[in-house]
Amino acid sequence: MRTLSGTKAISADLSKIVGSVNVEVRPAALVPYRTDATFGFAGLPTAVVRPGSAQEVSRILAWANQRSIPVVPRGAGSSLAAGAVPVQGGIVLALTRMNRILSIDPVDLIAVVEPGVTTQALAAAVREHGLHYPPDPGSKRVSTLGGNVATNAGGLHGLKYGNTGGYVLGLQAVLADGQIIRAGGRLLKDVAGYDLVHLLTGSEGTLAVLTELTLALRPAPAASGTGLAYFPDLESASKAVGGVIAAGILPATLEFLDARCIRAVEAHARLGLDTAAGALLLFGDDGSPDEVARTLRTMAGLMPDHGATSVQVATAAAESEALLAARRCALPALARSGGATILEDVGVPRSRLPDLVHRINTIAEAHEVTIATFGHAGDGNTHPTGCFDPADLAGRERVDAAFAEVFQAAIDLGGTITGEHGVGAAKLPYLSAQLGAAQTALQARIKKTFDPAGILNPGKVTR
Amino acid sequence: MTDVFDADDLGTCISCGFCLPSCPTYKLTGDESSSPRGRIALMRAVEGGEIDLFDPAALEQGSFCLGCRACEPVCPAGVPYGRLLEDLRDAQWKGRRRPMRIRPLLAFAARERLIRLVGRFRRHARFTTPETDTTLMLGCFERVLLPGVSRAAATTLPGVAIPLDQGCCGALHAHNGERALGEQMARRLADRPGRIISTAGGCSAHLAAVVGRDRVVDYSEALLEDGPLPGPILVDGRRARIGLQDSCHLRNGLGISEAPRRVISALGDYIEVPGAADCCGAAGTYSLLRRRDSRRVLAPKMAELSSLKLDFLVVVNPGCQRQLITEVRRARLRTRVLHLAELVEMAQRGPR
Repeated sequence: MRTLSGTKAISADLSKIVGSVNVEVRPAALVPYRTDATFGFAGLPTAVVRPGSAQEVSRILAWANQRSIPVVPRGAGSSLAAGAVPVQGGIVLALTRMNRILSIDPVDLIAVVEPGVTTQALAAAVREHGLHYPPDPGSKRVSTLGGNVATNAGGLHGLKYGNTGGYVLGLQAVLADGQIIRAGGRLLKDVAGYDLVHLLTGSEGTLAVLTELTLALRPAPAASGTGLAYFPDLESASKAVGGVIAAGILPATLEFLDARCIRAVEAHARLGLDTAAGALLLFGDDGSPDEVARTLRTMAGLMPDHGATSVQVATAAAESEALLAARRCALPALARSGGATILEDVGVPRSRLPDLVHRINTIAEAHEVTIATFGHAGDGNTHPTGCFDPADLAGRERVDAAFAEVFQAAIDLGGTITGEHGVGAAKLPYLSAQLGAAQTALQARIKKTFDPAGILNPGKVTR
Repeated sequence: MTDVFDADDLGTCISCGFCLPSCPTYKLTGDESSSPRGRIALMRAVEGGEIDLFDPAALEQGSFCLGCRACEPVCPAGVPYGRLLEDLRDAQWKGRRRPMRIRPLLAFAARERLIRLVGRFRRHARFTTPETDTTLMLGCFERVLLPGVSRAAATTLPGVAIPLDQGCCGALHAHNGERALGEQMARRLADRPGRIISTAGGCSAHLAAVVGRDRVVDYSEALLEDGPLPGPILVDGRRARIGLQDSCHLRNGLGISEAPRRVISALGDYIEVPGAADCCGAAGTYSLLRRRDSRRVLAPKMAELSSLKLDFLVVVNPGCQRQLITEVRRARLRTRVLHLAELVEMAQRGPR
């Protein structure tokens, strides 16, 4: 369909809606939109269009729906499940121009934002009002809230604060045929009708395009603190996680890194981490200064009971932030050590974490691949990361085969193939193993109801 | 396959997108084509032969990028973006394709005798050759446009050598599509042994990349090595309010950001300008080639400056100095823009 006259017609039609400066059809300008942050997935779009309002999104969808042209919504393109890759071509709907924070209400504890606002920008803006937006995905500096809600993004504080979905009270969305709906609102309690807010949350742009989000806020905690403990291996670190919970603490941060990740992060960030350790557990909390001091003390105190070889507590806020920053850069730091990476996000119930870690290591050994593991130990969501030479095709296949087994292991342990990145195109082949036939079919019927022509982010989540 | 880029450099990027919010042109447009990751995707397509090197959209991105390298310190994968951009411009701006407007500048800076002649006419710092292996480099355009900077640097760093036979370091050439010449000029400048003190962030970073970091000393570092700093500058009987505009290449290329701040803190009340680390839009020849975009990049900073009411805004690179003098004057702010060396000289002179 990529004929010159077809492209010209598309460009002319879209230009009428958003103005020609916000439409791009030149191949050299489309190339950046072929990929997101996922290794090995690409698809060239026919056009990129940048709407400035819900009305413009509505007109674009109505236009595309009539012509059965795929529309792939995109925020910052930081998806790790190929959720923003136009795998079937079509139009990329870049929502970065819609980046206004519309209101922050300290009484209702609510922020209303457009989808292109970055997570970091909202967090900074509400902090000025003494408020706190808790979801904290690893890529929050770059990721957009539209993308966060569309993938129900998780992050570093899931154990205490839950994931993005817990903060979505209402939204405005454009349906495939261009109709604009509002679901939910500004209420904590609202049970009128099916819960479309939480059906669209995590729907990865396959059911509707989110154009406005009403997000819940919390009062900002007065203090926060972080500590770290070294363990001989990741399994003992995961057992310490159980120990923390058993002690009656629900901390804001419980993150672990294995030896490979520690070495990679240290090489990149130079924080003075112990590169000889087998694993590292970051623990932290927020709240009143007394509370934070008390929980940190308790957590630090019980680490040695679970085999910690050394324990430190950060005394200054900057030190604490540096430790969290170290955790945030784990993936790119792994990449920096050379080669390509495939990062997964399997999750299991917390009590099964030591089993999962053990299974991952066994699988990696059996397939002779390098898998470095880090992740959100507190909520059972881990990031086993395959590191390989992109030129070595056989090696790449071994990594794929190993991950297929890791997914099955997670399912066997009562877990999930994706805790926070979403299904996208990358996890779609494995989804039905987790959902079963009846649910897979029901999901396909839901998709059909919302998007009969199948234009919205096709090839993702459901077939 | 073209052979424009180093395969290892290009392979480093993992497309994580962490660079996006640091990029001034992405901030302006919200378009990933004008982001570092987007430009790398484009470079890869060029390298793979999918996109022509001289495709108009590719040429536009090669020119629209400021080359500020703000994407480098935030890049967890360590992509040498500045080098990739030099590769791209080297190929895109070759020979007759070089933008007309900068050709005379490049030609002028490559003529050592001519720079010397015009520079002396403008009365930059006097040549002196005491027994020392530390020399003060005279920037090519700084000699001509801002001769007071080298005079101030010489006064405040007594004892350094200022040899007669020095040309341009070639940073200008390396950044504008003549890398081989730029590197050759840097090596020639660094021919004599010893350390080179530079008052221009852009030159420091280029020189360090070619002849080694250990040979290059930024003026602010030299000053801190040199011993006690002069006392505070008073304005209307109070300590002066002084801000800093970082030099992009000094900060992002060499990692020098604390030294100039420490110097300023001794000279008055240091006020951190919000976005001090963000490019001022001068970006070497950018302000000549893309005046409108240059001013759009600077606009948010001008808004901050107008509310800060600084007495002095310090710069550490001649391009930034020229840009900010022009724009601060245009905005009728009561802030005086000067080079760090000029501020230190003012403090040494004491109250008039």
